[in-house]
Amino acid sequence: MKLKQLVLAATATVSLLASGAAVANEGHGPALKHAEVNVTDQAQIRRGLDVFTNICMGCHSAKYVTYKGLMDYPEIGLTREQVDELRGSHPLTDGLISDLNPEDAKVSYGKVPPDLSIITNARRGGANYVYSILTGFEHDPAGKVPDGNFNEYFPGNRIAMPDPLSWLGHDESETAELEKQAQDVSAFLAFISDPHQNERRVIGCWVVGFLILLSLVLWRLKVEVWKDVKH
Amino acid sequence: MLDKIMKTRLFAWIDERTGAEAIIKSQLTEYPVPKNLNYMWNFGSLALLVLVLQILTGVFLAMYYKPSAALTMGGYTVAFDSVERIMRDVNFGWLIRYMHAVGASAFFVVVYMHIGRGLYYGSYKGPRELLWIIGVVILLIMQGAAFFGYLLPWGQMSFWGATVITNLFGALPVLGEYLQQLLRGGFAVGDPTLNRFFSLHYLFPLLLAAIVGGHVHALHVVHSNNPEGIDVHSDAERINFHPYYTVKDAFGVGIFLTLYCYVIFFNPQMGGYFIEVDNYVPANNLQTPPHIAPVWYLTPWYTILRSFESKLLGVLMMGASLAILFLLPFLDRSKVRSARYRPVFKQMVILFFVCVIVLGYCGHSAPTPTLKLVGQIATTYYFLFFFALLILPKFEKTKPVPDHI
Repeated sequence: MKLKQLVLAATATVSLLASGAAVANEGHGPALKHAEVNVTDQAQIRRGLDVFTNICMGCHSAKYVTYKGLMDYPEIGLTREQVDELRGSHPLTDGLISDLNPEDAKVSYGKVPPDLSIITNARRGGANYVYSILTGFEHDPAGKVPDGNFNEYFPGNRIAMPDPLSWLGHDESETAELEKQAQDVSAFLAFISDPHQNERRVIGCWVVGFLILLSLVLWRLKVEVWKDVKH
Repeated sequence: MLDKIMKTRLFAWIDERTGAEAIIKSQLTEYPVPKNLNYMWNFGSLALLVLVLQILTGVFLAMYYKPSAALTMGGYTVAFDSVERIMRDVNFGWLIRYMHAVGASAFFVVVYMHIGRGLYYGSYKGPRELLWIIGVVILLIMQGAAFFGYLLPWGQMSFWGATVITNLFGALPVLGEYLQQLLRGGFAVGDPTLNRFFSLHYLFPLLLAAIVGGHVHALHVVHSNNPEGIDVHSDAERINFHPYYTVKDAFGVGIFLTLYCYVIFFNPQMGGYFIEVDNYVPANNLQTPPHIAPVWYLTPWYTILRSFESKLLGVLMMGASLAILFLLPFLDRSKVRSARYRPVFKQMVILFFVCVIVLGYCGHSAPTPTLKLVGQIATTYYFLFFFALLILPKFEKTKPVPDHI
């Protein structure tokens, strides 16, 4: 079990780095901050789920993630009681849907908040992007964009989402806690973007390992069959 | 093992009714192949393998995929939702879908290597002109199939890619607008477009399978070229396809599958090259993505299109850049096939490969004045290459070609 987790974490890191490195700087604006995210860490993903349901879900949905999924995915692994408490009267097969009506959202924020089910796949930089946005609220140096709508990492800097973690003007002593919250929710979102990714990487080790062995055998076979061919 | 099977009574029964033994002998165990083929000759069998994988995975995807642009919650559509259901809820749906999506790119990787090999060693020259021409038809159908397939997830890049490409048809005189509307099934890309693209995405691979059959048949009539580019006369220069090349192809399959599965399991989006980031955003006809670019395998031709100020000219030149491939066997009249014995051609063809990669890079990147100029220079060389071949044999001093392998 220990070894399996180690392999998982290692492969997850390598592939995240590989995919992150290729896309991180493709956009414009400052380089994204690096988020300490581990999609195999159940504790971090669960903390992220808390942040998501308590803060993000005020406006955002994750419609492809069902309450049942919160029990079924071993990376989250909530108990039936925990899920019942979370879902209230929603059926188990419902997605994580925000109570905010899209029409009301349009009136309040000028646009409908995007669904976050696959957000780390849908933005260059993935989890780093989400983390950077959440901790990227600043005062506009030009003084044009009102506080809470200026984000260093958002393309064009003017973001409709008002500083959800109250990052702007936070007390120095809260920095570590807020960064942790932002990373945790980034981990949760990175996980749900592709909920079979850990399973995929474990199976991948076996598949690729087998294929390397198979190729070696086929290579020896080829050499054996060809040894009587004169050049 | 094959010998043993061929000695059984069941095989004898089948043979009497089909002539299976004669086919196996003429096409496999006694099908003569030059003995000096290098590993560049592995890509043909790999392309066939990927075609089979694409068809198989595609059949299973179609059992769950729903071609409908009807809106669902959160700005998504039935089509987009069904793809996400495959990724999340269908047992091993993620595997099938990543195999298919990565397979599309893998298909072009092996086919471009296959074409590059044909160019370098002069495999398009007589008597293999028709073999080459059938191959170009396959390339065009593949590009069509890939283009139709890319619309199906109904993401932002699906929608806008389809909009840009179908727009091109509108640039053609007289029939343009009609063609464009016929393709779209309306004035804009929408639900009818999705339905006909799904239908065509199912049809094209069937066409491919049939034409690939023709390609292999044509190959078995004129036989394989070889790195020396010379005709093979004696039995000492040939070996039977089976077991020599079946085992060599199998080894190639092993290497290919290792790399293919590495990407599928560890980096299926390939950093946005195989599945573009913007295609995880649901299609929105009111919001153009900041930068529309086709997937990497179509970007060289996209650059040619963008290199011309006039849209019509761009479309025509893009068409010409593909059509000229048909003419290649007749443009290049040199008696020597392989680049090994054609010093000038060798440099030209290597520069041509570099030029196609540069074109691909330009088409993938957001347009800047510098990149545009680079793209135009590469486009010029792309066409120059073919026309230079027309006069090249007149002054190229070829090296002496060996009599036998």
